[in-house]
Amino acid sequence: MKVGATLGHVRMHKVEVGNVTRELPVVEVSPGVSVALFNMLGDTEVTEAAGRELAALLPADIDVLVTPEVKALSLAHVISRETGKPYIVIRKTEKPYMVEPVAREVISITTGKPQLLVLDGFDVPKVRGKKVAIVDDVVSSGGTLHSLRQIIEEVGGEVAAVVAVFTEGQERPEVTALGHLPLFS
Amino acid sequence: MTLTEQTSLSVTVGGVTRSLPTVRVGSVGRVPLVEFLGDSEFTNAAAEALLPLIPEGTEVLLTVVTNAVPLVHEISDRSGVPYVVARKKRRTYMQSPLIQDVPSMTMGVAETLWLDGPYADRLRGKRVTVVQDVIASGGTAQALGRFVERSGGTLAGYLAAFKQGESTLPLTYLQELPKSL
Repeated sequence: MKVGATLGHVRMHKVEVGNVTRELPVVEVSPGVSVALFNMLGDTEVTEAAGRELAALLPADIDVLVTPEVKALSLAHVISRETGKPYIVIRKTEKPYMVEPVAREVISITTGKPQLLVLDGFDVPKVRGKKVAIVDDVVSSGGTLHSLRQIIEEVGGEVAAVVAVFTEGQERPEVTALGHLPLFS
Repeated sequence: MTLTEQTSLSVTVGGVTRSLPTVRVGSVGRVPLVEFLGDSEFTNAAAEALLPLIPEGTEVLLTVVTNAVPLVHEISDRSGVPYVVARKKRRTYMQSPLIQDVPSMTMGVAETLWLDGPYADRLRGKRVTVVQDVIASGGTAQALGRFVERSGGTLAGYLAAFKQGESTLPLTYLQELPKSL
C-alpha cells in the first residue's frame, strides 16, 4: 500500500452513518484497487449511531448476536445494550482457557493471509438451536461471513440475519446494512 | 480443561454480580478471569462505576485490544471523552505507527503494541488516561503510558476495572482480584 506517496493529498470518500458524517481515506490495498478505510475503533459517535440504527432494524425473533473480533466489538456491544440480546465474540486466536474450541480458517482480503476464527466451546450452547444475527463493521468479499456461517451452522445455530454498517464492492441483499462502500480503481 | 474443574469467584460491580470462572495456569493455581466481552450488562455497570474515577482533566482515553474495547467505548459514550485503541499486530493500513515492546507475563515472551500514526496525533498535547479491564503486572499499561509520552501527550493516570497482581503503578481501580485461588 502506497501510504507515504499519498500523504498530504489523500483522496477521501464521504459517508453518513445515521446523523453522523465521516470522511474516509481512500487507500490502495492491491495494485489498481483502492478501498475507503472505515475503522470504528475509537469512534464513539459512529459506533453509537450505527449500533442504535442497526438495533432498530434487527428482526425481533433473533436470539443471539455473533461478532468477529476486533473492529465490530463495540458495535455488537451497543446493539446488545439496545436490544437486550446477548452477544458472542468469535476470536482470531485460540485461547488457553477455551473449552473444545470450534475453528475455521478464512483468507483475509485486507491482509491476504489465512485468518483463524475460533468459537469457544463454552459459547456453543448459546448458539445451538438459536436464531443468530452476525454483526460486522464491513462485509466485503464475504470470506469472513462465509466462515462465520460455517462455524454457527456446525454447532447447530441458524443464521437468520446479517447486519453490518456497510457492504463493500458488490451489493449483498442478504446483508442489512446502513450504507454501501464502492471499490475504487 | 473441563467445565467441571472450574470453581468460581463472585464479584459485584454497581449492583451486577458475576461468577468469574477460573482456569488453572501452570503452577500458579486457579486464576479468576474477568470477561467483559459478550456481557453488555456487566460492561455498562463497570463503565458507570468507573466514571467518577477518571482522573480530572482527562481529554483522551487510551486502551489496547481486545477485552477492554466495549468497556472503554461505554466509558467514552457516558463521559464524552474520546478514546484511542492500540493494536497487538501491525495492520496494513497503518501510517507511521509507533511501536512499543511490552514484557508479557502470560507467555513469558515479549509482546509488541502498535499505535497507528493518526491515533498518536490525537494524543499530542492532550491529558491522556490509560484504561484497561484488568491490570496485572502493569507491563501493558506501562507500554501504553510510553505511547502517551512518545506522542507528545501528558499521562493523566492509569484506570482499570480490576487490579489483579503486584503492579506498582499509580493505579485507580474498582476492586482488587486475587491472583489465584
